[in-house]
Amino acid sequence: MMYEFKVSEIAEEFGVHRNTIRNWINAGTLVAQEGPGRKYLMKFEDYQMLCEKFGREPLIRPDSNVDLRTVSTLETEKKIVPVLELGKKVKTLYDDSQWADECLTCGTCASACPISGVDGLDPRKIVRMAILGLEDDLIDSDWAWKCTMCAKCEDVCPANIQIVNLMRRLRSRRDRDKVPGPIHRGVMTCLERGNNIGIPKEDFLHLMEELGDELAEGCCPGFVTPVDIHGARLMVTVNSREPFAEPDDLKWWWKIFYAAGESWTLTSENWEGVNWGLFSGDDEAMRAVVGRIVDNMRRLNCETLLLPECGHAYYATRFCLNRWYPEALKEFKICTVFDLLLEYLHTGRIRVDNTIHTKRTVFHDSCNYGRKSMRAFGQAYYEEGREITRACCPDLVEMEPNRGSNYCCGAGSGAWAMPFADERVYYGRMKARQVSESEAKLVIASCHNCRDQFKKSLNQEYNLGIEVKYMWELVADSLILPGRRSLE
Amino acid sequence: MILESRKIGSVMVVGGGVTGIQAALDLADAGYFVYLIEKSGAIGGAMAQLDKTFPTNDCAMCIIAPKLVECGRNLNIRIMTLSELAGISGTAGNFTVTVKEQPRFVDLDKCISCGLCAEKCPKNVPDAYNAGTGRRKAIFLKYPQAVPLKYQIDAESCLQLKRPGSCGLCETVCDAAAINFADTEKTHTLSVGALVLAPGFEPFDPEPAGIWGFGKFPNVITSLQLERYLSATGPTEGNLARPSDGKPVRRIAFLQCVGSRDENKCGKGYCSSICCMAAIKGASVAKEHVPGLAAAIFYMDMRTHGKGFDQYYEKAKNELGVRFVRCRVHGVEPQGKNGDLRLRYINEQGRQVEEYYDMVVLSVGLGTPANMLDMADLVGIQMTPSNFAATSDFSPVATSKEGVFTCGTFAGPKDIPQSVIEGSAAAAAVAGFLAPARGEMVRKLSWPQEREVRGEPARTGIFICHCGSNIAGLIDVVAVERYAATLAGVVHVQRNIFACSEDTQQVLINAIREKGLNRIVIAACTPRTHEYLFRATLRAAGLNEYMVEIANIRNHTSWVHPGNPQAATAKACDLVRMAVAKIALSVPLAPITVPIIQKGLVIGGGLAGLTAALSLAEQGFTVHLVEKTNRLGGNSLNLKHTYTGEHVPMKVAKLIDRVLVNEHIILHSETVVSGVEGHVGNFKTTLKNANGRSRTVEHGIGIVATGGKIYAPDEYGYKTIQRVVTSLEFDKLHDLKETHVKRGKSFVFIQCVGSRDEERMYCSKVCCTHSVQSAIELKREDSSRNVYILYRDMRTYGERESLYKKARQMGVVFINYELHGKPRVTSNGKSIDVELWDHVLHRPLLIKADMVILAAAIVANRDAENLARLYKIPLEQNGFFQEAHAKLRPVDCTTDGMFVAGIAHYPKPVDESVAQALAASARAATILSRQEVTLDAIKAIVDPAFCDGCGLCIDVCPYHAITLLEKAAKGAQAVKIVVVNEAQCKGCGLCQGTCPKRGVSIAGFTLDQLRDQVRAALQA
Repeated sequence: MMYEFKVSEIAEEFGVHRNTIRNWINAGTLVAQEGPGRKYLMKFEDYQMLCEKFGREPLIRPDSNVDLRTVSTLETEKKIVPVLELGKKVKTLYDDSQWADECLTCGTCASACPISGVDGLDPRKIVRMAILGLEDDLIDSDWAWKCTMCAKCEDVCPANIQIVNLMRRLRSRRDRDKVPGPIHRGVMTCLERGNNIGIPKEDFLHLMEELGDELAEGCCPGFVTPVDIHGARLMVTVNSREPFAEPDDLKWWWKIFYAAGESWTLTSENWEGVNWGLFSGDDEAMRAVVGRIVDNMRRLNCETLLLPECGHAYYATRFCLNRWYPEALKEFKICTVFDLLLEYLHTGRIRVDNTIHTKRTVFHDSCNYGRKSMRAFGQAYYEEGREITRACCPDLVEMEPNRGSNYCCGAGSGAWAMPFADERVYYGRMKARQVSESEAKLVIASCHNCRDQFKKSLNQEYNLGIEVKYMWELVADSLILPGRRSLE
Repeated sequence: MILESRKIGSVMVVGGGVTGIQAALDLADAGYFVYLIEKSGAIGGAMAQLDKTFPTNDCAMCIIAPKLVECGRNLNIRIMTLSELAGISGTAGNFTVTVKEQPRFVDLDKCISCGLCAEKCPKNVPDAYNAGTGRRKAIFLKYPQAVPLKYQIDAESCLQLKRPGSCGLCETVCDAAAINFADTEKTHTLSVGALVLAPGFEPFDPEPAGIWGFGKFPNVITSLQLERYLSATGPTEGNLARPSDGKPVRRIAFLQCVGSRDENKCGKGYCSSICCMAAIKGASVAKEHVPGLAAAIFYMDMRTHGKGFDQYYEKAKNELGVRFVRCRVHGVEPQGKNGDLRLRYINEQGRQVEEYYDMVVLSVGLGTPANMLDMADLVGIQMTPSNFAATSDFSPVATSKEGVFTCGTFAGPKDIPQSVIEGSAAAAAVAGFLAPARGEMVRKLSWPQEREVRGEPARTGIFICHCGSNIAGLIDVVAVERYAATLAGVVHVQRNIFACSEDTQQVLINAIREKGLNRIVIAACTPRTHEYLFRATLRAAGLNEYMVEIANIRNHTSWVHPGNPQAATAKACDLVRMAVAKIALSVPLAPITVPIIQKGLVIGGGLAGLTAALSLAEQGFTVHLVEKTNRLGGNSLNLKHTYTGEHVPMKVAKLIDRVLVNEHIILHSETVVSGVEGHVGNFKTTLKNANGRSRTVEHGIGIVATGGKIYAPDEYGYKTIQRVVTSLEFDKLHDLKETHVKRGKSFVFIQCVGSRDEERMYCSKVCCTHSVQSAIELKREDSSRNVYILYRDMRTYGERESLYKKARQMGVVFINYELHGKPRVTSNGKSIDVELWDHVLHRPLLIKADMVILAAAIVANRDAENLARLYKIPLEQNGFFQEAHAKLRPVDCTTDGMFVAGIAHYPKPVDESVAQALAASARAATILSRQEVTLDAIKAIVDPAFCDGCGLCIDVCPYHAITLLEKAAKGAQAVKIVVVNEAQCKGCGLCQGTCPKRGVSIAGFTLDQLRDQVRAALQA
């Protein structure tokens, strides 16, 4: 039996954009062929499979020519599930009842999660499977990797179930050679060669120097890239993807440091700020990467550590410092992009022009800087990002919901790098709707992954017509540069 | 030698809600003087804010208003408004309490509640009584039926008080010169023997949690606000319109457990116990208001564990079409810009669903606010971890401090019936404690001399009630008023917004006196609830109390003809005309008093019976305690621990000891009731013991506490599969360390066995908590055991929720099943196979159990039928005794002087049985503490001129009040005539209807009166 549909109808049904449906058709996620009258035809079973995959109830329209008897047959055929005998296995996944046992099965987590039902799972089911001892099924499932560990589920759980810990445990229990995507490879490369991509020291130093020269020739006369400066106030890490793929992106921060007259430094080795051990569930790797940062801080005797490019890096580093290097936190402090930019603005070290970005703007709350930091460190950054953005963009509006209840962009916890693009785009429909409902045309992000998801995926998939900037990119672009100060 | 300090016969009740009111009334009626202190400007509490109450859908105001008025006019209750406890010293029995009274700025004695002040007041502020939905002035009346019905100025918003000289309009317009801007805070020092803390609760504020959008999206409201929107006296006069744009509400959603069972966003782990029923009521009433309204309730567990609640739930689901969705919703989001709201949830199949609503109601929980915690601190009582007053399950109204008692929601979240029960229970506990001082501080009531009106021509006064908009919203009351003035004998007609409010009573009294009225017609609501109020008003005006007639133009007219204002108005005129015709022939009736035998009879020697007997005995009354077995304790002998962990056998043994040594208690064991005669104050009950010997005891009141029993299951392999046992059987095996229990590694509890099905549509209330407790115990003994509880809705209500959490913490697995997918229990000889579907994973599960424990229902005792017949107390359909009113008379029976307590009334746990037993004792004491009781004068009267003793009436009298007498006449032969026992006669009128000779008539309902009333009806 064939199921006839219009792209717009099915897009509305799934809450995604027509582009996404067309992409699904092109990618084969949705097996359909073009029919007459701008309609498409697909096998009804395929339609059901699609609904099944994305956790939706099949919708039968009066005009979709479906024999309801067949539908019910398919439904019953589907329901043959093997009997699960309880109490046979010893649970090994967790030992704290707060991770699962105390679950009320109320469904709040599942109602909050943007990818609930995708592949037939949701946070509640995963917690339930953990309780009932279906550990292998959970570890084998890719769901924990499609989950962005955004903690929206955990944020609303009335029983305080530590769902994110459970998800991460599932990731860590997967055989390393079965970790999807490049994440584990990145972790190994970082451990072996100092950064996720394995950029050799000479190449890195050469590139840094060159970028500094470019900046000096342009807007920042006299700029020299500081590397391994002993006693610099600020030590700054680098996201290896920037030198590798988008080196110019480094200049925004550098421009700001220049304008602020900051005393800062990069390091020649172990400069990686990305910490994929957080994503792959590899505590040892996470600890080692942060240990190297601690060594650098000690070696160069810097006051403050800045992880400039991603919420996860800040989160992972602060988490590890608290857990494994508490003594180091007495020697130096870790600051966020928000702390630093606000300090510059409040003390007048930088000034920004608020007439450049006149489009309606929204600030996207990062899960790592927001509710995850709140839960882990008792401190979240909500207002700071808005204050910085408002300093540059007078027409700042809000997405609903926001701050601690914000929806994840859909690309967090490594999802951007994972091979689950369909799910990531589907996940992002909540975010895309938030953006379009806000009617903003400029989205400010404080994370690498969020920015990539907005800029390179959601914008096209959902025809958002938005411009996307990093918060520091926005500040750099709005800077009122201090004239000839550097020449004096 | 240490002299015990003298006890004082007065009591302070803190909190003027329905709980405090009940405690105050019972205490005042039992011989104690009561100071009722209330923080706000009027008593009534949260109940006065409600629209309807579950499960009867009674109008909340209509049933609390008479109690408010009763409180207001009771000589032995001093209501102190705007007052708070400020200090306490002394010892139990003799406390010195300081009370701080905030200035009202309006003189209570001078204010006539005309409302001119509020009309002129320029300052408009949100109205707390309307839960912020409406607005009031800075000078305001808390609500139209408030007691005391006096205005007050809110100093926070009054312009004149904030900046003297800037306003003062109210003072200018007040003819009564009642405004006093110089009013100041006053401190009162009072001596009382005991305190009852009943300050109530504060609804949870959902705004700080943020996620539900309360305070941000105007169409997200709280359940209390919904009450106000649905109420005729609310801001929209009962129209369900969206606050944002006034658009009619077509789709409404209720989100449960906001401020309850949420340790994360709300910091509250306990269940608030009432919100499920409140939401069902809200949805049902809203559907009545808006035909075609789509209503959905999103919930975790539907907790409808009270009497009649499950039927109410089923009705809402199956008949009214309220949708119930078992999923908690994470938050509310705006859909577009026009005020619509978006909810996303996961359906039972694990699929995502998004829905849009016009209005979202947050079912907010109950909690104790900081100021009440401060008060608890000040008084020095212990609180539970959930911040409710700590009490023992065996003395649920006694706080940790001697002489200080508590009741209502301050002592744990609970509904109105349970609060009222506790109010009475606290009164009993106080009365027991202060027994030596009973009657020392009370003032006696005196009525003005009754004016003789016999022989006067009728001068009828008619008062037409608007009942807010209940009547006036439909009926043209002005037309009724105009029409009434034309009727014969009518000399005065007047309309009132609320005829039952306290100020209107004074209006009535004044009119009666000034206009020389001798007959009164009240065109208002039902005499069932309000007649006695107006009778008292007549007495206060010096008129015989039976010279009033009520035309029920609300229940019989505006409520039943909502679509037809013209016909309703005409019908109202008809009813008024009929009332006028009937009252014209009324004559003053003299009150009937009968002496009271100051002894009680308690039937049933279980926990409730023992408690009731002991409470009465400690108040100084002699009690006959009847137990059919040879052992006291009843079902409590089967229990081990209460939900708070108190050891039941020890406590019950102590209770039995105290009963056995109490000289006021006469125990009749192995005895049953075999015959009953008499009436309130004068019962004669025949008791028959095991040897067949009978004796008759006399008593003034009776308390039925005959308990219930466990249901014998006929499913899940009970009796056919070994080791499938009931919970009570399991408890015994467990206690005896039986091998299979001891070695067992896998235990399955199946809930609702025999409860909540078609045959017994009620919840047995105790089984969830009981199974959870057993499961915890099994896990505690051996944590490697697998323990499963298969449930339909976990009903660990109130603070019992902490046990449910503890069980989950210990690894007990809870699996939800529905009635259509019951677990299958089979045996292969070795282990027991239990098969069912997992409610989250939607896949079949198999549990190999060593033991299956069936949480079997509690059912009514068979012998209840016999007692019901003997004492003429109705049973409800499940065989439990029916109380007089589910909400406000939860322990009284419809037969005066009879009360019910414990499981005989409905399945309930230890603490609630004890509370109800104490309540029954308190209610009984209001009768026993008097020497005589005044009975209604509406009785059958025999006319010797016509009665020829044919005896037809004797057979029809349902109260056995008529007997045949042969009287030797002066002349020749003996004359036969019937006589009526006035105390037994209920004035039902069957005899009058049966008598072919006009030999018997009913005072106040004579054939002449009825004839004229019918003629008037046909006149039109």
